[in-house]
Amino acid sequence: MADILGVVFRRFASGTVTTDVIFPAEAEGNTLVLGDVNISRSVLFLAAVTAATDLGLKVLFFTQTPFQSLPVSLRASLPGLKLETLKNVKFVYVKTLEELAEDLASLHELASEAASPPSLIILDGLDHYLHGSRGGPLQDDLSPVAHVAALLHDTAAFLSQILQSRADGQGLCRVMVSFQSEDEGSRDSEALAPELLLSVLDRYLQVRCTLEEVKHDGEWRVYLSVMCPALVQQWHMVLRAGGALEFRPVFGGEQQILEQPEKSKQENERCGDNCSY
Amino acid sequence: MGSSLLSVAEQLLRDLQRTYSETKQIPDDLLIALRFVFGPCALQALDLVDQRSVTCVSSPSGRNAFQVLGGSGRLYTCFTSCHYCPCPAFSFTVLRRNESLMCKHLLAACLSQAMGLCQQEQVSDQQMTHILSGQTEAST
Repeated sequence: MADILGVVFRRFASGTVTTDVIFPAEAEGNTLVLGDVNISRSVLFLAAVTAATDLGLKVLFFTQTPFQSLPVSLRASLPGLKLETLKNVKFVYVKTLEELAEDLASLHELASEAASPPSLIILDGLDHYLHGSRGGPLQDDLSPVAHVAALLHDTAAFLSQILQSRADGQGLCRVMVSFQSEDEGSRDSEALAPELLLSVLDRYLQVRCTLEEVKHDGEWRVYLSVMCPALVQQWHMVLRAGGALEFRPVFGGEQQILEQPEKSKQENERCGDNCSY
Repeated sequence: MGSSLLSVAEQLLRDLQRTYSETKQIPDDLLIALRFVFGPCALQALDLVDQRSVTCVSSPSGRNAFQVLGGSGRLYTCFTSCHYCPCPAFSFTVLRRNESLMCKHLLAACLSQAMGLCQQEQVSDQQMTHILSGQTEAST
């Protein structure tokens, strides 16, 4: 199965896209989506809808609060969308980190049922769960974030085995997690440094999708990267007036016009000097 | 911690599995290599293996996990597909400082699996959920 974000980018591309999002075979497709909470949520939602409608996959979408509104219009993005295809997406509303861990830990019980287990597990806003945990806001223990990320990884690995053993042939379960790291100025002095949290998440979620807003006018740079072996792809994402999201790949010559070059430097450093575009 | 060292560690565990299955012993060169790659926790992990402190728990769903009985009497649940242990040493030396590949509990689980020395235990699916969610550790 192609990487789901790659399918999303091609599905909502402006014009014909000749390049593809290709990750090394040894890289797992579990993805960390970094960026503003609203746009991250929109990308996760599009990924869920695309997986359910275009790929016919079962999706579990964990979030703290029901969707009230999104920057992205589903009808504008998918004009011919039939609502019954969304039945493949199951939303699970969990409030606390403890409830989330328990729900994730129970997913193996789905393997005993006749119906297929989910092929995509989405977790919206991991940072919100960590803020609300009993230990306070991201205090001096990395174990909660590592536990949830490792539990997601291990659950996806187990469900992949189950899917592969069944006859439907869709043999992979992927994980997609959104996380908004706090800025240096706004975070609590006792909170963990964002780079430390991200280094922990990188252990379990190998693909990183960084969404960086350009000029605050509804345009984003999207950095899709894996660390080993190093690979970065850039895409340009635009929110149209009607609420539709559009993507197009960014090629070499365009990569110098970033508003915040520091972000792309971070991505390049994360991947070493061998990034390919 | 680089992926190259992780590859070396994985190869070392494969070598250990092959050698131990043939001879039921760990030769000195492999012991030296274990100490070199995993540091001081190699000896502590081998001690846990000797005490048969690692249990592989399985449930009817097919899900597995390792439970390692630490020196303090506390049970630590480690996953089979990725490196995670709820002990303070894993949080500090592996996650925070990036100084070690594994803590002694994780390494003991890997060594026990490679040497076929895991205890086996069957639990219900609901018990497995409790184990994976960390509730059993919170209550010990």
